[in-house]
Amino acid sequence: MTGTPLSESWINRLNIVQLVLAGFLIMVPTAWMVLSSFKPSFEVTAYPPTLVFSPTLENYVQLMRTTPFFSYAVNSLIVTLGSAGLGLLFGIPAAFAVSWTRISWPAILTLAARMAPGTLFLLPWYVMFRQVGMIGSYTALILSHAVITLPIVIWVLLPSFDNIPRSIFEAAQVDGCSITRILWKIALPLVGSGVAVAAILSFVFSWNYFLFALVLSNGDSKTLIAAAFNFVGEGSTQWGALMAAATLIALPPLILASIVQRWLVAGLTLGAVKG
Amino acid sequence: MAAISIRNVVKRYGNLTVVPDLSLEIADHEFVVFVGPSGCGKSTLLRIIAGLEPITSGDLFIGDKRVNGVPAAQRDIAMVFQDYALYPHMRVYDNMAFALELRGMSRPEIDARVRQAAALLHIEAYLDRKPKELSGGQRQRVAMGRAIVRNPKVFLFDEPLSNLDAKLRAQVRAEIKSLSQQLKTTMVFVTHDQIEAMTMADKIVVLQGGIVQQYDTPEAVYERPANQFVAGFIGSPTMNFFPVELRGEVATFLNGATAPLDAALRARLKSAAGSGVVGVRPEHFEVVPSGASGIAVQIKLVEPLGSDTLIHFEIAATPAIARVDPSLKPKVGERVFLLPKADKIHLFDAATGRILP
Repeated sequence: MTGTPLSESWINRLNIVQLVLAGFLIMVPTAWMVLSSFKPSFEVTAYPPTLVFSPTLENYVQLMRTTPFFSYAVNSLIVTLGSAGLGLLFGIPAAFAVSWTRISWPAILTLAARMAPGTLFLLPWYVMFRQVGMIGSYTALILSHAVITLPIVIWVLLPSFDNIPRSIFEAAQVDGCSITRILWKIALPLVGSGVAVAAILSFVFSWNYFLFALVLSNGDSKTLIAAAFNFVGEGSTQWGALMAAATLIALPPLILASIVQRWLVAGLTLGAVKG
Repeated sequence: MAAISIRNVVKRYGNLTVVPDLSLEIADHEFVVFVGPSGCGKSTLLRIIAGLEPITSGDLFIGDKRVNGVPAAQRDIAMVFQDYALYPHMRVYDNMAFALELRGMSRPEIDARVRQAAALLHIEAYLDRKPKELSGGQRQRVAMGRAIVRNPKVFLFDEPLSNLDAKLRAQVRAEIKSLSQQLKTTMVFVTHDQIEAMTMADKIVVLQGGIVQQYDTPEAVYERPANQFVAGFIGSPTMNFFPVELRGEVATFLNGATAPLDAALRARLKSAAGSGVVGVRPEHFEVVPSGASGIAVQIKLVEPLGSDTLIHFEIAATPAIARVDPSLKPKVGERVFLLPKADKIHLFDAATGRILP
């Protein structure tokens, strides 16, 4: 026989169709956003949409002129790095402890917290943070975003830790290691790509999280994504500036993901195949 | 250097009892091999000594110290694991130096010890490599090197040869044996391979169901097995067993066939209320000329091993194997007369399996 069997070639074709469809669904709104950000304001909402236009930076200029964009970006960066750092700080030992003890309920609890709607936390937090005078502080935002990052870190790292043969930890015990030292000296270096994935996903999810920042921040601590909401007004939404803001907001996660793409794939498939 | 004393140790996992009540004394400098089939509790016992499994009840002493609650890290033992368990992110050198660094040893001393152990195991050339760049045999040596540099009180080996091919296994087996003679440290070695047990041990512990079946020298375990389980487990091919009853002056097999008995065995059977299980090792059958008092058997299968030849046959419908001289050139279907060596016949209690005097 020569060539691949018919069924296999059909499966390959279907795969390609699926990928094209998925790519189309993801890329069209993104392309729309990026193109609109470079359109003159009257063309942004034109119908039918124009594909040929003379690009302009007018939306970006307006964005920078009318909003303290960079201070919002700094706010976003502080909150995102803070919450991702907090997630890693507590998530790494927590994932290791769950893997080590095989007691999984704490991990399931964090997952449940992640799956619960944000509004569930928001009201009690708002009351609590207001009582201690922390509304509008970075601390309140970082702590609230840790609810997003902590489960990500735990659940990305858990299979990575589980994948390390137990005998390696036992060898370290026999060699004289305490459990803490096993985590830092043996386990952590072996889950490097997992940590990278957890860090990136934490960064992206925290960066993009809208609800907590909207309610718990104030004018000084507003994050980019909450600030972008300012452009949506009743009947007078500035679509061009909004698209420019959205494009700039989407850039850091995209750049991060493309830099560490190879790690990301390796890390996401960790634990998927035994051995 | 230390003796190990296991006193009435019980190990349970929930309702499952793995070690019911086990006591064992391992002398200083002794090379002891735990051997038994899968699930006999040998690895559990080793892990208990290592401190990787807690004891349900009983006491464990290493040297003079009771170590029940002492974590593995503080027991001053070294262990070689079945999968070697090398640290994948560290070079061979760092794998070996790691435990010494943890003990706060000086750099020059660590270096001296690592290089000395590497020389002993012929792995100097690999010190800068990562474990993934080594072959199975080389990894095995590094795992041993990691244990040796520690100069521990006790060495523990958990089936360290089972991942090696047959040739390498024989080579490493000899190396471990010679190492044990050089290092003069108490060593406990776990294996399911009775050849490893026989060739390496000063003393063998045969385990079954978490119970010590016999604890003795390899010679004694082979020559004088304590029970039918030990007799069947040690020796390859395995010992042949024939349940018999004494009827008159002849042995009667299960299917009613009879065989003549020599006076000594007849007396032994008589004192065992007339029944028992006769055990004969394949190497303890002699081929005798027809007409002598041998048992006539028909050869069903011939396995030439070079140094000797195994013949398969049946006695009273019980399959059996004899090891014979290859110069006899036995053939399938041929009839031969076999006679068990009278002083090598074992007799076991049919109910309990215990050896009968």
